[in-house]
Amino acid sequence: MIGYLARRLVRLILSLVAVSLITFGLLQLVPGSFADLADSGTSDLGGDSATSGSELAQRYGADVPAWEQYLTFMRGAVTLDMGPSYRYPQATVEDLIFDAFPVSLSLAVPATLLTLLIAIPIGVLAAVKKDKLADYGSIFTLTSLQALPGYLFALLLVLIFSVGLGVLPVRGWSGPEYMIIPVVALAIQPIAMLARYVRTSMLEELREEYVIAAHAKGGQRRTVLGRHVLRNSMIPLVTIVGPIFAQLATGTVFIEALLGIPGLGRLFTTAARTRDMPLLMGTTLFFALVFLLINLIVDLTYSLLDPRIRHEQSSSWRRTRRPLRLRASKSREPGTDRPAAPDRSPGASDTMEVVRP
Amino acid sequence: MSELMHNASTGDALGSALASGTSGGQSELGRGWARFKHNKLALGSLVFIGLLIVVALAAPILAPYSYAEQDLTNRFQPLFSDGHLLGTDELGRDVFSRLIYSLRTALMIGFAAELLALAIALVIGMWAAYRGGRVEQWLMAFTDVMYAFPTYLFAVLLVVIMGRSPLAIVVAIATATFVNQARLVRAQVLKIKTFEFIEASRSIGTGGVAITIRHILPNAVGPLLVATSFGIPNAIIAESGLAILGLGVAPPTPSWGGMIVDGYGYVLGNPQLIVAPLVLFGLTMLAFTWIGDGLRDAFDTSEEDRA
Repeated sequence: MIGYLARRLVRLILSLVAVSLITFGLLQLVPGSFADLADSGTSDLGGDSATSGSELAQRYGADVPAWEQYLTFMRGAVTLDMGPSYRYPQATVEDLIFDAFPVSLSLAVPATLLTLLIAIPIGVLAAVKKDKLADYGSIFTLTSLQALPGYLFALLLVLIFSVGLGVLPVRGWSGPEYMIIPVVALAIQPIAMLARYVRTSMLEELREEYVIAAHAKGGQRRTVLGRHVLRNSMIPLVTIVGPIFAQLATGTVFIEALLGIPGLGRLFTTAARTRDMPLLMGTTLFFALVFLLINLIVDLTYSLLDPRIRHEQSSSWRRTRRPLRLRASKSREPGTDRPAAPDRSPGASDTMEVVRP
Repeated sequence: MSELMHNASTGDALGSALASGTSGGQSELGRGWARFKHNKLALGSLVFIGLLIVVALAAPILAPYSYAEQDLTNRFQPLFSDGHLLGTDELGRDVFSRLIYSLRTALMIGFAAELLALAIALVIGMWAAYRGGRVEQWLMAFTDVMYAFPTYLFAVLLVVIMGRSPLAIVVAIATATFVNQARLVRAQVLKIKTFEFIEASRSIGTGGVAITIRHILPNAVGPLLVATSFGIPNAIIAESGLAILGLGVAPPTPSWGGMIVDGYGYVLGNPQLIVAPLVLFGLTMLAFTWIGDGLRDAFDTSEEDRA
């Protein structure tokens, strides 16, 4: 276990270094050096170039080679002292990030809870009513909902509740009522995705022999479903709820831009548009860190919940892995008497659908 | 790609399958189409997308006004006002004309980005599956790093670097999305590689590249088509998202994201400005998804094959 954890941590750090190298390398292609950009950045945007200029020059030096700038930045990132941003010379990069992250979290946590609260009942219902109208209807609705990006839902909600009924604010961030539209808009796509996943997972469990055994022992349908099937089918959900939360915590960029919410997404966008190097590197690395950490936690939780999942199995160069028994679902479809050989090739695609922001 | 598909159809099997409508055709493509066209919703969506493409191509003929022409004395005209079917925007530009031209932006960037991503994915995915070894390891490692970038943030970075030209946006979206499809291609090639007819083909001396192109790819056409039909709307979502961030095609060229973000500032007084792009955007996304679902059923690709 310790060895496994150590390997995963090393891999996480390597991934972070790769992300920082790619980002920094790409930013080198933008014309102008650190110091040039700092000057233009501050003067264009009305910043105080006198104070920040010297500090930035002192930090990154105008005629220092790129690799040294990179090392300076990384040293700052590791010691949590990333220095001032170009755009906001009075604040340090880490302050800006730590100010914005709670805003993003206060959208992501309710949105994740809302997703769980709505998606699981829908998925269970669709599975129990398999091949009935309710099943077809909900699957069709869910597939369609999943096709639409969150920002379209945000607009739709604004049109209904802000413009039509006049009960919710159009944009801004100064009270709990400002949270309602973004949270609901963010949750819709994950709800659709998770509900379909719950349905598949439930159907998978319903085919297991222990369900028949439980019924044979005289278990009521409701008891069997609630106590046995639902519980077992919740285990694989860990693998998908984690990434959903990670996506929501970091990937609310478009909705934040549209609704004027001062979260991480907007910080990143501002940094990108003004080419604010330190802030851009800082937010990108922070995004990546949150993402990788959540995936690590998911993998660890999963192996605790289901000891059958070996560490070696879940530690390949992937983030999370669905349990194998879920992927073999085709083989046990009613109507096929001989189970087809499950796809065991190393390339067996286990790609997860990714939530769109 | 079309050449490959042509090869796939082994003579006139495609033609006969298309003509007779039976599922007895020889090719993967023909059989898929025969099943696909029974799905009325998917077929209707295909017709709808076809119609949108025609409208986009014929934009200069269909649009009553120029998309950039401003008329500041005529701002915020309501729907169905004199001469302006969908009214005018904050600069007095005709919304209907802008909507037609924005269709061009969306479809052009959506299709181009997805085709470019698919092309890169085909080359890298096939190479990784065929050669294995180092290429494969690099692909996997790169995939892992790309996963650490939250969705579309990589595209944002690339647009910042390359600028806001349509070409730059296409390249940015394709670069940010090709990894998943490369994995899909690789998985497909690895799967089909194990079939007996491939072994038979190899035993009579066919070379590796020829086998990949002539035998493996045609059999992977189903999952690839499904991935493409979900990839195009995703590219459109990315393009509009970039426009919402102020990183889309440069104004005055209209795009859905741009029209939405411009109109949003006036949403309380003039909600019609965002309703028009919203409806068209939503319908287009739904149509692509229903096509993709139809294709998935027709080619019987499992959920996991989706990239």
